[in-house]
Amino acid sequence: MGLSRREFIKRTAALTAASYVGISLPFSKENEAQAADADSWHKGTCRLCGSGCRLELGVKNGKAVALRGIPQSRTNKGYLCMKGMLFYKLMGNNHPERLKKPLYRARKDQPFKEISWDEALDIAAKEFAKAVKKYGNNSVAYYGSGQALTEETYIFQKVMRGGLRTNNVEGNPRLCMASAVGGYITSFGADEPIGSYTNFERANCFFIIGSNTAEAHPVLFRRIMRRKLDNRDSVKVINADPRVSPTSRIADLHLQFNPGTDLALLNAMAYVILEEKLYDEDFLKNYAVFRMGKEKKQVDFAKYKAFVKEYTPDKVARICGGNITPEKIRQAARWFAKSEGTMSIWTMGINQRKRGVWANNLIHNLHILTGQLCKPGADSFSLTGQPNACGGVREGGGLCHILPAHRLVKKDKLRHEVERLWGIPEGRIPPKPGYHTIAMFEAVNQGKIKAIWINCTSPAQSLPNCDKYRKGMRREDVFMVVTDIFPTKTTELANLILPTAFIFEKTGVYGCTERRSQLTVKAVDAPGEAKPEVWIVREWALRLAKELNDPVIKKCVEPFLGKEPDYELPKAIWDEYTQKLTKGRDNDLRGATYEVLEKLPDGVQWPAPTKEWALKGGTDIKFVRGLDPLADKHAKNDLPYQFYGPAHPDKKLWIWLRPQKGPEEMPDSQYPFYLSTGRIIDHWHTSSMTGRIKELMRANPYAYVEINPKDAKKLGIKPGDMVEVASRRGKNILPAKIYVGPCEGMVFVYWHDQAEDRMINRVTKDAFDPGSKEPEFKICACRIRKVSGPRPLEPFIVNMKA
Amino acid sequence: MSINEDSLPIKRRTLLKAVGFTTAAGALLRPFNALGLMRSPVTTNALRPPGAVSEKLFPSKCIRCGRCVEVCPYKCIKPLDIHQGIFAGTPVIHVVDVPCYLCMKCVEVCPTGTLIPIAQEETKMGLAVIDKHACKSWNEELALCRTCYNVCPFKDKAIKLDALRPVVMEKYCTGCGLCVHGCPVTQKNGKKAINVEPIYAFGTSRGMTENE
Repeated sequence: MGLSRREFIKRTAALTAASYVGISLPFSKENEAQAADADSWHKGTCRLCGSGCRLELGVKNGKAVALRGIPQSRTNKGYLCMKGMLFYKLMGNNHPERLKKPLYRARKDQPFKEISWDEALDIAAKEFAKAVKKYGNNSVAYYGSGQALTEETYIFQKVMRGGLRTNNVEGNPRLCMASAVGGYITSFGADEPIGSYTNFERANCFFIIGSNTAEAHPVLFRRIMRRKLDNRDSVKVINADPRVSPTSRIADLHLQFNPGTDLALLNAMAYVILEEKLYDEDFLKNYAVFRMGKEKKQVDFAKYKAFVKEYTPDKVARICGGNITPEKIRQAARWFAKSEGTMSIWTMGINQRKRGVWANNLIHNLHILTGQLCKPGADSFSLTGQPNACGGVREGGGLCHILPAHRLVKKDKLRHEVERLWGIPEGRIPPKPGYHTIAMFEAVNQGKIKAIWINCTSPAQSLPNCDKYRKGMRREDVFMVVTDIFPTKTTELANLILPTAFIFEKTGVYGCTERRSQLTVKAVDAPGEAKPEVWIVREWALRLAKELNDPVIKKCVEPFLGKEPDYELPKAIWDEYTQKLTKGRDNDLRGATYEVLEKLPDGVQWPAPTKEWALKGGTDIKFVRGLDPLADKHAKNDLPYQFYGPAHPDKKLWIWLRPQKGPEEMPDSQYPFYLSTGRIIDHWHTSSMTGRIKELMRANPYAYVEINPKDAKKLGIKPGDMVEVASRRGKNILPAKIYVGPCEGMVFVYWHDQAEDRMINRVTKDAFDPGSKEPEFKICACRIRKVSGPRPLEPFIVNMKA
Repeated sequence: MSINEDSLPIKRRTLLKAVGFTTAAGALLRPFNALGLMRSPVTTNALRPPGAVSEKLFPSKCIRCGRCVEVCPYKCIKPLDIHQGIFAGTPVIHVVDVPCYLCMKCVEVCPTGTLIPIAQEETKMGLAVIDKHACKSWNEELALCRTCYNVCPFKDKAIKLDALRPVVMEKYCTGCGLCVHGCPVTQKNGKKAINVEPIYAFGTSRGMTENE
């Protein structure tokens, strides 16, 4: 026996001890078993992505116990992904880390202490009033979220604009779909998609570019996949993406181009459509004009043809690199043009680009050229990432340059109309748009903004090049209020943290990708003293009015005084917004009252000017006479399609001449790789919610860097090795995943992880589209090197005590 | 080693007594089963490290040196405790707790050939089996979960999707247990909706002949 007696005894003791630890293991896991049946079920909308899945919350003894899909819903048909099935674990007292009391510290290096709501609101009002008095109205700002309810965004921006007289109203949708807004307005004259999800079942060709639908919108992807699998031969799927993603699996054709060459690819498809005469002459004649440049100069078809001549498939195949061949470009263009109904789908891959608006325009170009619009299955459809980016922020006036119901700040007539509808003096809303997101946080860095209110989002993690902007947020002379349900990277930098109610703990409307507004009514109580935002804003505004001695601020919330905050208050806000502000606008929501929304299993798609129309579900396809009540109302001629969008005075679709433009930062000898960021199915955004659901965290405990096997071989990187991903701005250290996902010369990291070492937005670049002001998260240059072999890693979520 | 026994906080005799007592108590607390001491600990989701010889040979070949336990960067390999009788001290991976990431470091350090050097993709620690009654995608018609597919190191080979429902391909599954670890469903008995069954552990393994 090789063991001495002493050694043997030692080992036995250790093993015995271990065995006792081992015994208890199975018991701690029993709680994870699935929830039991419920007493009652309450209709609502999923809190996570922008699909707008309808679901029911099971409540037992006042406690949220389960979620299930609603089969009658026109969005998800009853299907849910795991995120959607599990987020009830964050509601009420189900999660111990929920924020329950207002927390305050005068200086950011002090610890937080609990205070009462009265004290908290007084402090918030005093600090904002102080900034306004000392530094002017533009020294205060609101930074909101595509996850806030429409009522919340609406009342926040009303108080900021009408009350505090500033257009410093922004929101995180600037980071995700501002380019899509720009694209829709410049190409179609009206924001938001023309068609609906119903086109998934009618399309015969899907052109999926810059979207990993399978992971980012899994429930919608099921519908696309079903369509493909039921019609394997007749339905074609084209996936254009520099990375092979789970979405590529169902593709007939995968166009893998080098990052940043998408504009050339789209122009080359237009080239093939023109050369092979695949365009729809009648459609072009009736509905389209050609334009170019900043001054929107109108040009003729010949000029457009000459412009596109530059983009021959042979030349573009060389520009694009990857697996692109001239024949692949031709094939894609032919399928696109010839199919009975082609539907384009995109998200961040197109929007988060230095020329995101242009990329959007070029997709719309293909649809206008081939007449693939307004017909069944034909649509140019941008998916949205957040549950209420469309409904709350795009329609509710949540960005610095727009007022509610698609009105531009800079248009005097529209601005005065809003002032009149609110009953406040003319000239109260300043004519100049406020800071857009990057400019806003730049202003925070420079100390120009003295008080900022951040609601329901975590810019400290979600801004590109976030270290730069966290510096500003740490400034002692910037007073930061953060309203949220959990501690985040941003609450770490706050002076005042206000706990808010989560979905199903308050009442309000979410508007999803397909212009659909859906109501969620309160079903469980918020934990501790957490309050709905609408109540917080109302009470804060009343105090502001006193501090600044300004009755107009009070006037902004006057219609809502005395209302009970869980249902009556949001209903009053929704009524004001829909009945007054959307009247006569293209997103007319007058028919979609709370009563109507409560009757329907899902919701209402605008335009819905009357209750009768709303009860039918609203408008499936915009601009088509007979299907869209506004198309009939605005009709100027006998044509079946009426493009009445408010932004195009000529009521035409605009085909744009947009040249290829690369990313802001190209790989070079020092930083030879492209870095792209994205999403994964188990997590959502900054994972402040999904990271707190054990099942989801276990499925994907930490971010990794995806490296192409060929690159990994060259650099001697093995699976699991710790790799440093560094750019000119910052670095991460991540485990490697060697995978034929990204193309050669490109690495990919998902951005949900909260651990400092794995927060990829410390590495990304904050260049932005000059049109939409949306940052280019998708492309920057980086270098990678192995730092060590595999290391065990711990998942990380910000904790209040830490 | 020379230690002055008087300087120790407890005397050797005391320690021995304590250890003896605890061991006895441990044995009493659990129903004692003489056969259990001879039965292999390898079972559902409790697996040998990659390249392991047949379970018939394992306890005699493995010298309990603990090198595989030490080298594992993810701390997934654990030595078995005394309840395992003749298997005490041999390495096992409980994939529900920490799965094997197939870094293949353990096979390199094994001094006895109990773990035989093997390529990552040839590893056969077991076979992942989907419990279709418990799996959300198979059982609940309206649920979309494919965590096992997403975490599989041989995605689209070892686990494929059949109309968004996961299917395991026996040929490529290494039994690493990443899918088991990730699976969001935990059943009452502690099992997941996908579990690794050590179906290869009791036959003859690679590099071994029947007579050996």
